[in-house]
Parts: sequence; C-alpha cells; structure tokens
Amino acid sequence: MIWKIFLFLLLGFVSVAGIAFPIVENPQAWYEFPFIKGLEENAKIIFFHVPTAWITVIAFLMTAIYSIQYLRKKNLDDDAKAYAAAQLGIIFCILATVTGAVWARFAWGAFWSWDPRQTSIFALLLIYGAWFALRSSIESEEKRATLSSVYAIIAFVTVPFFIFIMPRIMTGLHPGSADDTNAGPVIDFKMNENMQLIFFLSLIGFTILYFWMWKLGYKSIIYRDKLNKQLIIRG
Amino acid sequence: MEFLEKNAIYIVMIIVLIVWAGIFFYLLNLDKRIKNVEKEIGDKK
Repeated sequence: MIWKIFLFLLLGFVSVAGIAFPIVENPQAWYEFPFIKGLEENAKIIFFHVPTAWITVIAFLMTAIYSIQYLRKKNLDDDAKAYAAAQLGIIFCILATVTGAVWARFAWGAFWSWDPRQTSIFALLLIYGAWFALRSSIESEEKRATLSSVYAIIAFVTVPFFIFIMPRIMTGLHPGSADDTNAGPVIDFKMNENMQLIFFLSLIGFTILYFWMWKLGYKSIIYRDKLNKQLIIRG
Repeated sequence: MEFLEKNAIYIVMIIVLIVWAGIFFYLLNLDKRIKNVEKEIGDKK
C-alpha cells in the first residue's frame, strides 16, 4: 500500500514540476529549468514523452523474458505475463508515437516527417502489431503460446536497434540524432541537474505505474483462464 | 483567480493532476476487485 501512495505523490509531483516549473535563461533556484535553443518551452515534453518510450522497451523486454520462460517451463501463466506486458508495450508505443507527433507539429512544423526516429517506431509498431495478429489467428492455447513466444523473442532483437541505435547514428530532427550538436544519450542533452532530477523521477514513477498495470493485467488473464477451466471440469 | 487567468499553464497543471487522480483511483479500485476474485478462487479450491 505504501508504494501506491508513493507512486501517487511521485507522479503528482512530476506533473506539477514538469508542467509548471519555469524555463529561464539563467537557472538559479532548484525549480528552474534551462532555456534550450530550438526547443524552448517544447523541451518540457521530455518528462512525459520519453517515459512512454522507456516503458515500451521495458514491456517488450519482459515479453521476451516471459516468452523464454514459457518455452523452458511450458507454464501458461508465463504466456499470460508475456501477453499482458506486450499489451502495455504496444499501448505505450502508440502513446510515444502520438505524443511525439503532436510535439513535432510545433517543434518541426509537421506531425509526420519520416524522421529516423519516427520511421523506426513505425517499424516497431508493425512488428508488434503482427505479433497480436499471429496470436489471434491460433485456436490452440499451447500452440499459440509456443509460436508467439518464439516470435516475441526474435522481435525483441530488433528493439535495441530501432530505439537506441538507428535514430542515433542517422541524421535527423529528433534530439539526440547524429547531427545534433548535443548528440549522445538523451540524458546529457543540455539538461541541468534540476531537469535531470525531474526526468529520472518521472522515469521511476512511470516504471512503477507500468509494473502495477502489468500485474493487474496478467492476474485478470490468469484468473479468467482458471475460471474457464473450472467451468469445463464441472460441465 | 486573476493569477490563474494570467498564467494559464497552472490551469493545465490542475487538470492533469485531476486526470492523474482519476486514473490512480480507478487502478486502486481495480486492484481491490482483482484481489477479491483471487480470494474467491482460492476458497473454491
């Protein structure tokens, strides 16, 4: 229960700080953010958009981990865990794409411009969209779990490339691209300590939120399957 | 009130906080409901 109150206060604080803390030329106080040329007020998106992409990576990683677990132990509970993680992964992937597009309209002038970052997340959406299509096309539970586990493991191999590597080695508009003068990991992209603190708090908050949602998701799937089996045995 | 009219970003902040509170209490409720189902299934075993 304590961690839930902590989560509530943490993301509440991140919302207040991320939205309302002022951006000034020379940050002095602990609540002031630096003025980043070319981004200005738009820079505040980092507190809400980057965590969604981060959750996408965690979720797809956990899909791969529980897929491996399923292939080793053949326990359908692991398949439920992988499925719940992938569901959240695709939701947060769409959120990252949409929030990025809205931001791009005002930072770059167009919702969509096939920037390397946008292209790679689009490919990622297609890859994981196909995963859900694959699952829904197989009737047998065991067969579905086995095939989708194999696919999920192979699909995850592409995630580091699409999210961390390709958008950084190619030139583009997204902060952190190869021709960005502040290139490199997003972390040292002209943020000051105040901004980094709020950014990491946001990442922690979103991660806790993800694990909570994931737990609710897989539990409901596991109990539904259990009840179905009880009904079949009785009937 | 005049302060809020001049600094509209704080209105956005309040709205986001209300939305977050709504989502949070929905999740809290869902968590409780799933725990109840868990208990019921446990009893039937």
